[in-house]
Amino acid sequence: MSSKVSTPISRRSFLKWSGAATAATVVGSKTPVLHALVPSNKNTADGKVEHHFSTCDMCLNKCGLVARVENGVVTKLDPNQKFLKSRGMLCARGNAGIAQLYDPDRLKYPLLRKGKRGEGKWQRLSWNEALDYAAKQLRDIAEKYTRCGVLFSPGSDMQSTFVHWFAEVFGSYNITTHESACLLSRNRAYLDTFGEVPFSDVLHTKYIIMAGANRYEALITPDSIDLMSTRKNGTKLVVLDPRYTKTAALADEWYPVRPGTDMAFFLAIIHVIISEKLYDPAYASEKLYGLEQLGEHVKPYSPEWAEAECEIPAKDIYRIARELAAAAPAAIVYPGRRTSDYVNSTQIRRSMAILNALLGNWDKPGGLLAARQVGLSRVELPEAPFYEDNPDDRLDIGRAHMMFEEEGSFKHMRDAIIEGEPYPIKGWFVYKHNPLQSEANRQRTLEMMEKLDFVLTVDIAMSDTAWMSDLVLPAPSYLERQDPASGLQGSSACACVVTRNPVVPALFESKPVFEILKELANRLELGEYFDFTIEEYRKQQLKNLADAERALREDGVYYNPSKLYGVYEGRIYKTKSKKIELYNERYAEMGVDPMPTYRPPRKVPSGRFRMVVGRNAYFTHCTTQNNSLLHELMPENSLWIHPKAASGLGIKEGDLVEVSSAAGKGELKASLKDGIREDTVYMASGFGVLSKGLTNIHGKGACMAEILEDFSDELSGNMAMHETFVKVARKVA
Amino acid sequence: MNSKMIKRHTKITIFMHWFNTFCWFFLLATGLGLIRNDDLQLTGGWWSNLMVFLFGSAETLLLVHEIVGLLWAGVFMVFLVFGFRKYVLPFFKQIFTYSPSRDLKWLIKKNIQMTLGYKWLKRLGFTPDIPEQGFYNVGQKLFAVVSVLGGIVIVVTGLIMFLSNILINNTVIVQWAIFIHFVTVGLVTGGLLIHIYMAAISPDERPAFFSMFTGTVPEDYAEHHHKLWYDEVKTAERKAVS
Amino acid sequence: MMKKRLAMVIDSSSCIDCKACMTACKVENQVPAGNWRNWIKVQDADFVQSSRPEGADSIHFQPGNCMHCDNPTCVQACPTSATYKDEKDGTVRVNENLCIGCGSCIPACPYGARYRRPDKKIVDKCDFCEHRRQRGDLPACVTTCPTKARTFGDLNDPDSDVARLLKRNKTVRVINPESDTRPNIYYMSMTAPLNWPVKAEIPTPIQLWKSVNPLVWGFVGLNALGVLAMLGKQLLVKDEVPVSAHEEKKEDGDEQ
Repeated sequence: MSSKVSTPISRRSFLKWSGAATAATVVGSKTPVLHALVPSNKNTADGKVEHHFSTCDMCLNKCGLVARVENGVVTKLDPNQKFLKSRGMLCARGNAGIAQLYDPDRLKYPLLRKGKRGEGKWQRLSWNEALDYAAKQLRDIAEKYTRCGVLFSPGSDMQSTFVHWFAEVFGSYNITTHESACLLSRNRAYLDTFGEVPFSDVLHTKYIIMAGANRYEALITPDSIDLMSTRKNGTKLVVLDPRYTKTAALADEWYPVRPGTDMAFFLAIIHVIISEKLYDPAYASEKLYGLEQLGEHVKPYSPEWAEAECEIPAKDIYRIARELAAAAPAAIVYPGRRTSDYVNSTQIRRSMAILNALLGNWDKPGGLLAARQVGLSRVELPEAPFYEDNPDDRLDIGRAHMMFEEEGSFKHMRDAIIEGEPYPIKGWFVYKHNPLQSEANRQRTLEMMEKLDFVLTVDIAMSDTAWMSDLVLPAPSYLERQDPASGLQGSSACACVVTRNPVVPALFESKPVFEILKELANRLELGEYFDFTIEEYRKQQLKNLADAERALREDGVYYNPSKLYGVYEGRIYKTKSKKIELYNERYAEMGVDPMPTYRPPRKVPSGRFRMVVGRNAYFTHCTTQNNSLLHELMPENSLWIHPKAASGLGIKEGDLVEVSSAAGKGELKASLKDGIREDTVYMASGFGVLSKGLTNIHGKGACMAEILEDFSDELSGNMAMHETFVKVARKVA
Repeated sequence: MNSKMIKRHTKITIFMHWFNTFCWFFLLATGLGLIRNDDLQLTGGWWSNLMVFLFGSAETLLLVHEIVGLLWAGVFMVFLVFGFRKYVLPFFKQIFTYSPSRDLKWLIKKNIQMTLGYKWLKRLGFTPDIPEQGFYNVGQKLFAVVSVLGGIVIVVTGLIMFLSNILINNTVIVQWAIFIHFVTVGLVTGGLLIHIYMAAISPDERPAFFSMFTGTVPEDYAEHHHKLWYDEVKTAERKAVS
Repeated sequence: MMKKRLAMVIDSSSCIDCKACMTACKVENQVPAGNWRNWIKVQDADFVQSSRPEGADSIHFQPGNCMHCDNPTCVQACPTSATYKDEKDGTVRVNENLCIGCGSCIPACPYGARYRRPDKKIVDKCDFCEHRRQRGDLPACVTTCPTKARTFGDLNDPDSDVARLLKRNKTVRVINPESDTRPNIYYMSMTAPLNWPVKAEIPTPIQLWKSVNPLVWGFVGLNALGVLAMLGKQLLVKDEVPVSAHEEKKEDGDEQ
């Protein structure tokens, strides 16, 4: 029997009126997720409901979203169905954006450290006091140590461009970004092969090899989504990973490759393709530079030789090489993103880039695609001042062969700051960046901070880096912000422009970093360089895109229908030889291997394990672990260890273990997994936090940054996070 | 029949009786209407559908059932507290006092007499004299006990169900309360049918029925039906006069 | 108006266990921490069969939620039909204003789809996002899924995506053989795990009620019969009160 649902006087309201329910809600409820602000009855038929576009900021993908706002409260974030790059979806983190906006642990007002760094004693300041103080500190450091005495570390954000600009007008060359803990090796390798960093046309490819890239967990749009679609269309996926990740699990073939030996595998494939002439000779002679040298170079790198190195059977290497070549040019060796793994990570990616080149997949359907034109205009800004007393170069120059100017190398910067050579850095401006969790060797970062007089962090939550800072300034979440326009490459999905406008007003006393920089600039006699609003800035960016403003307003995104394939028709490659460089002359001139030469990784000592880093779909690197919604999905991290290895150490499922390295140690529970090599262990990042301001996760799990030793890639200075060997021991209670 | 009247019920007693009557009918009707599980329907759910139709929706039905239930329990709670010495205690004394051999004889003989008549009483070998009874005959006492104890159980289980989504976290207690509530109501309702017949329909007891309005019964009725009480009253009267 | 039969067809081989659907649902329906209206069941990879499990031996993810069964055992457990199958669209619903949170329906669901909200203390579960459907949107889990593993629609509409998918593909339903509730979530045939739903258990007090119900009514009926007998006697039998009926003073101890 069914029952009609609606009723004029609801039972709920009767009970509330009778007073009993109020007692119960005090006694019974403990919802940390949403404020009392949020209406408890989802069926508010009479509330004011609005929909606003925005661009997600829970990770770097910037998926378009539609925010549903009821009575001034954001109640749901839905995918913007018109957003091609995300294929109209919103992942768990995107949905959890509400818990970031209404996070009870949010930073609310400026805080000045009172006790020692890390004590957690804060004094609340007014914005004027805070900015006056910060300006004074920056000015003092500039006077004593030159403008380059301040290090700027902007995270990945649509307002980070202003931090770069501020650094420039302030006069410091010293900038590091998270890229040197991430993709610099890949960028270096592809720039030095193709002259630009490509995007993969996953949707249209027929064969794809992923070495390490865990696309079903390390979500990148549209690749992660297109990977599933293309597989449904019969595309073959081969995965190399020491872990049985979800991508490995859902692939056609998975090889638990010996960590650090990927180059052997790829060189062997190149060997097969060249020796069996499985490449297009016409294409090669027209587009490729250095095929002859390459052919000679790979002669010793047979699949039989490679099998001993990477533990992938030679017969499979032959087969995969032939299958890959047969599918070419719609075949990809997936470049990946995070390539901060080995001291020769750039050369490893060179071998992969070279293989891609041999497949002839550049600029073709199912291959590697050049960046498409987005069409944003450069904004005219006054020329930055020149500071006479500045040193010649950034602090970390010369410590790696080929560093990127704007990203540098955090590892080298950190070393130099600790050494104080060639000159001291005494100040640090950190924006939306958490090096204490994201950079290997947390103790070393702390050591670096000891050398600094003034650390300022602008963030939305009390990250570890904020916790150890001197001045913490609260920024609003992305849902409260107006941002400049940003261009996105969506592979074969689109090239588009996104922006943000506030969905709700900024909460508490939070201030966007643009405003902070503007006010600092005013106090430092640099006001003229920030004499604009974001609105004006954005207008200039969009000035050559006639339809952009309307599209952004009505669709939440603007598409530039620029060419997808054949972009390079009649164009030269931005390399020395003007072709795709299998052989890199510049490298040779610098004394670096012009073609990747295999070097085996350091052997794992007996009784030790190699620690590897990896992602999952619930968290964004080392942030969002404290997000109330996402926290429920994974309350703490655990150590993945093979059951055989575990039993050898007397470790059972769920046992508390201590993981230690030369850098540091941590304690966490053990998770026995058949799906990991016996010589390898893994744990998720972002736990074992120092900050008591992250109330959901403080005291939980272990910190990856604490344990990783700071090796770095020789070429790019990218952190090398898979070179750490750890000892694992069961913790007896 | 010309007979002097004896006072049998106070105004409070009368009020509580009819208040109880009204609440019981209302709660029984609405309560039955709330049982909408297909497996619990014996006659196809017409009553529940009627109730739901009358009150607009099942949840409104539940609401009014709860309101009247709370009202009923509340008033009795007050009565219990404030009227304990004057009304409740004497009442309990009445209904919890039995003379086993006399009362058993009364029960057997009365039942036969009421259903088959004196003729059959004689035919079955009994003497026609029905044993004397006090203020309440044993049938009335038994029903009173069932309805008082039953009522307490019904109130407690009802309160548990009412508080279920306010204060209670133990669902097992609530599930048992649901079951016990139903069974107890059923048991009391069985007795209630007899009570209604005896009190309101049986011509023999007509004076008793009226006494639930006027508060008095004729003396010869009292002498015949509640001899032991009649004797006490008369003894007290005589004492008062002398 | 044609009756709908709302259902889902899920291609669990598209599921990457990203938990977007679980999070979207949690936000959309304000599901309290510690509870879920939907889930992703995992069948672990079989490393015994193969050191590199793939295909059938690989890991399997299976998204699910209340199956809005055609033979809902949860409805059978509820005394007041506070939970009921909506005839108009086939969804199984909970009437928030009628449910008192006795929780009888919770173990009666083979899928564990129901939970008792610690705040409102009534039972909650998936309703296919009714409030979203009212404004023309799809359920939150369907919209948000990156790989579009979930398809939602009206099985009574032959042109709907779900109807077409069912027609063209082999599908299975995940069922406990002792409690075939005829669920309305269909999975593409390679789904796993299959053996996880439990036998529907109706709590003892409710089962007791169902068995005892005829007895209680029987008891009341017996009393009613007694009343009818007395009424019959009153109306039909001329009963003369014997004189001796009034003279029992000295005969208290007599047996007959």
